[in-house]
Amino acid sequence: MGTLRRRAGAYGLLAPGTIWLVLFFLIPLYFLGRLSLNVNVGGVYYPFDWHWKNYSDALSLYDTQFIRSFVYSLVATLICLVLAYPLAYAIAFKAGKWRHAMLLAVVAPFFTTYLIRTISWVTILSDESPVVEVLQFLHIAPSGQVLATPAAVVSGLVYNYLPFMVLPIYASLERLDTRLLEAAKDLYADTKTTFLKVTLPLSAPGVVAGTLLTFIPATGDYVNAEFLGSSNSQMIGNVIQSLYLKQQEYPAAAALSFVLMAIILIIVLIYIRFAGSEALMGEEGAAI
Amino acid sequence: MSATPMASTAKAPRMGFGKWLREHAVLIIGLLVIAYMLIPIAVIFVFSFNNPAGRYNFTWVGFTLDHWKNVFGIPELNEALWTSIKLALLTTLFSTVIGTMMALALVRHQFFGRRAANFLIVIPMATPEIVMGSSLLSFFLILGTPLGFRTLLIAHVMFCISFVVVVVRSRLIGFDRRLEEAAKDLGATPFETFRLITLPLILPGVFGGALLAFALSIDDFVISNFNAGTTVTFPIYIFGAFQRGVPVEVNCIAMILFGITVLAMGFTTWQQRRAEKMASIRPEQEEEVVPLPPVSAAT
Amino acid sequence: MGKTRMSRKRRRALTRVALAFMALAATIVLAACGGGIEELPENYGGSGGGNEVKVEGKPSGEMTISNWPLYIDKKTVGDFEKETGVSVKYVEDVNSNEEFFAKLRPELAEGNSGGRSLFVVTDWMAKKMHELGYLQEFEPAAIPNFEKNLADNLRGASYDPGRQFAAPWQSGMTGVIVNKEKAPDIHSVCDLFDPKYKGKVDMLNELRDTVPLVMKCEGVDVEHATEADWLKAIEKLKGAAESGQIRRFTGNDYSTDLTNGNVVAAIGWSGDAVQLQADNPNIEWRMPEEGCILWSDNMVIPVGSPNPTAAEAWINYVYDPVHQAQIEAYVNYVSPVEGTKEVLLKEEPEIANNKLIFPPASFTKKCSIQPSPDPKEEQTINKAFNAVLNG
Repeated sequence: MGTLRRRAGAYGLLAPGTIWLVLFFLIPLYFLGRLSLNVNVGGVYYPFDWHWKNYSDALSLYDTQFIRSFVYSLVATLICLVLAYPLAYAIAFKAGKWRHAMLLAVVAPFFTTYLIRTISWVTILSDESPVVEVLQFLHIAPSGQVLATPAAVVSGLVYNYLPFMVLPIYASLERLDTRLLEAAKDLYADTKTTFLKVTLPLSAPGVVAGTLLTFIPATGDYVNAEFLGSSNSQMIGNVIQSLYLKQQEYPAAAALSFVLMAIILIIVLIYIRFAGSEALMGEEGAAI
Repeated sequence: MSATPMASTAKAPRMGFGKWLREHAVLIIGLLVIAYMLIPIAVIFVFSFNNPAGRYNFTWVGFTLDHWKNVFGIPELNEALWTSIKLALLTTLFSTVIGTMMALALVRHQFFGRRAANFLIVIPMATPEIVMGSSLLSFFLILGTPLGFRTLLIAHVMFCISFVVVVVRSRLIGFDRRLEEAAKDLGATPFETFRLITLPLILPGVFGGALLAFALSIDDFVISNFNAGTTVTFPIYIFGAFQRGVPVEVNCIAMILFGITVLAMGFTTWQQRRAEKMASIRPEQEEEVVPLPPVSAAT
Repeated sequence: MGKTRMSRKRRRALTRVALAFMALAATIVLAACGGGIEELPENYGGSGGGNEVKVEGKPSGEMTISNWPLYIDKKTVGDFEKETGVSVKYVEDVNSNEEFFAKLRPELAEGNSGGRSLFVVTDWMAKKMHELGYLQEFEPAAIPNFEKNLADNLRGASYDPGRQFAAPWQSGMTGVIVNKEKAPDIHSVCDLFDPKYKGKVDMLNELRDTVPLVMKCEGVDVEHATEADWLKAIEKLKGAAESGQIRRFTGNDYSTDLTNGNVVAAIGWSGDAVQLQADNPNIEWRMPEEGCILWSDNMVIPVGSPNPTAAEAWINYVYDPVHQAQIEAYVNYVSPVEGTKEVLLKEEPEIANNKLIFPPASFTKKCSIQPSPDPKEEQTINKAFNAVLNG
């Protein structure tokens, strides 16, 4: 009896949010699919037509940008991982009383508008900035030009998505029971073995969550390519934006969006199958 | 124990620099990465004092306080900022209420469809913004809804709900139900229990969720750009201004927002500490909450 | 609580069936929803005629004007407000014809202008909007200055022969802007493809500026260009973009690349060059050997304009040579108002004698009016060009 009332209460609490998400997240996806099958009649109107050609056109015309987006995103994610793991480790185990300050420093970039901090890289990476001159000296950027290259775009992606990698890894490292590390030491494991056999596997959920949270948004990003790139480094996000907001080629744009979503979904599903699903949908204590 | 495994400092050999480096390698790398993350913020800050020759604020010319003195002197910028703030406040209100309700339902109750609801909440966080933005735009285009503040609000609340739920939920998990039961035993109605016990204790979590929603809304560009029509929010203004020269005042405003957010975060953390002391539960501890037998079972 | 495992499996299966059914039902219901862009707009089909401004008495009230950035001096709006009593909100939110159109179009299709009484778009966009029925035609009696002072070479323009809906705000020339120290021998758009300037060249992301210039330097008569001509020029651009010859396709921001030294030459607009020269005397606008592209940005009054009377008053005001001189001294583009040069000769002779601002006919003899692709070919050409921009 009480269960029924409580159930009703639960549903009541759940209702507004569920309705909002269904109405404005799931249903628009249907309309995205529908628009992708519409046909562009001279730019005047766009009726429904089972126009599957949009998909074949999209894939053939923009395959370069798709591949480019995934490559940039993958490279950026890997670089983020390499940078974030030591940082998360340092904060979790080596920071002591500076832990909160360091966490604040990690999250601080979020407090400046995304666009502004990307634009500040235009200043930092401009052709005659000291940073670029140093890079040129070190032969990392021999031509003295960093902006308007793929490297600039990828470095922008790394910068903007680094916190998304640090925080989940930190969260899972922080939950690590230090007694396990002590036990390993008692069993004569050296630092490297302890790390490889104890810490790393136990932090895997954080790594999984972090890589997904970095890779997925980075693939669809277009702000970095817009400010830091050139026509040779445009990503699929730029194309979608141009098709929607400039060319008004709505069906083609919708088809591209849909393909992007589908590919990401497949990648995520495969990844989770290998890595385990608690990381993403953690019931007790989200890894985020 | 008399024979400790720790060598006394007097007998330990002086550590060479190489060894010190290896010992602290991780920490040093960590600090370097943090420096890397803070460089652009420093650049934004420094260039807010720049006095550029032309319209573009990319090379350092000279120091001036003019732009700080004139921070709110550009009407279009102010309008965009004000639109963003209004939007963020409304978004925070709606998404926090809706999200907190959802979190309460998900943590407290076992019910049919719980896993589905969990799934529904996580998917928006895992979808690229461009897909969310373009699907909403497709939705509005086909239904013929005029784009503007209302569509922006709908979009913003949509993507903020999930984040609020996650934050509040992680707070709720560490919550000691015994306090609620104690209140009930003392004769409080469910509503009074909620109002006097539950709500104040989860408030830091709710506030944290609200803060996150506010930050996400004010910073959102991609979804907004797709669904704003001719309305201009702060990030949309900056994007449009990039080509013709972002005014220095934008840097100043960015730093002001930065300062406010840091303060708000500090406030939330402080409140969190207080609430933890009140509830005498520290979620960081690894121990499980020991389930006590219900008080009423004494009969 | 006593639930058996059997019942849980059944429940899960039932759940799946129920969800599938709900999804199907939802799809059917949603399929019925529609409208918006899936349907032909109501007022489509005419050639745009019939929307006429009805001027009512003296101008009053308030008005919002949308214009391109940096296209007006600081005093004109205030002066206009004082003279007419109209309160003007002047917004610089037109960054690109296509993006402005894409944003505004849903409202224009409903007969709204989003609160704007007047906005400024380039020739081809004005023509397109007129054809779609989004613009109102002028009431000539309220704009005598316009009728009287419009420059002769702008009368009878192909996009608005009767000058019924588009009143030029400023004209301009697209050519090459070079840093004459670093790129002394660039005198033609084709020189921008010279490998020794690889990565040091910017081009405009505007289809109707960049591609016609490339066509011209290949010897094509752009005013009679075929689709094949357009596509061939776009192919050439594609090769140059992919090889890295062209650093970026830009909007207004080529000026920052020039001043920073990121590029040594760019396709650019005459008005910008005058300003850039003030910062760096080495930067100059050069008339390409094969000629430039001439264009105008036009004031248009949209349907649903809240205060068309005030809008026409504005047009009339800026076509007074004295007021135009004030605008011209700041904007530095080509004035469409006859008599401006005489006014400026007295006050600011360097501007009056600047051939970029008052180009003599001999200077622009090889220039072409900005062409626009045939409507049937437009979609293909647009797609091809944007494919180059998007890499």
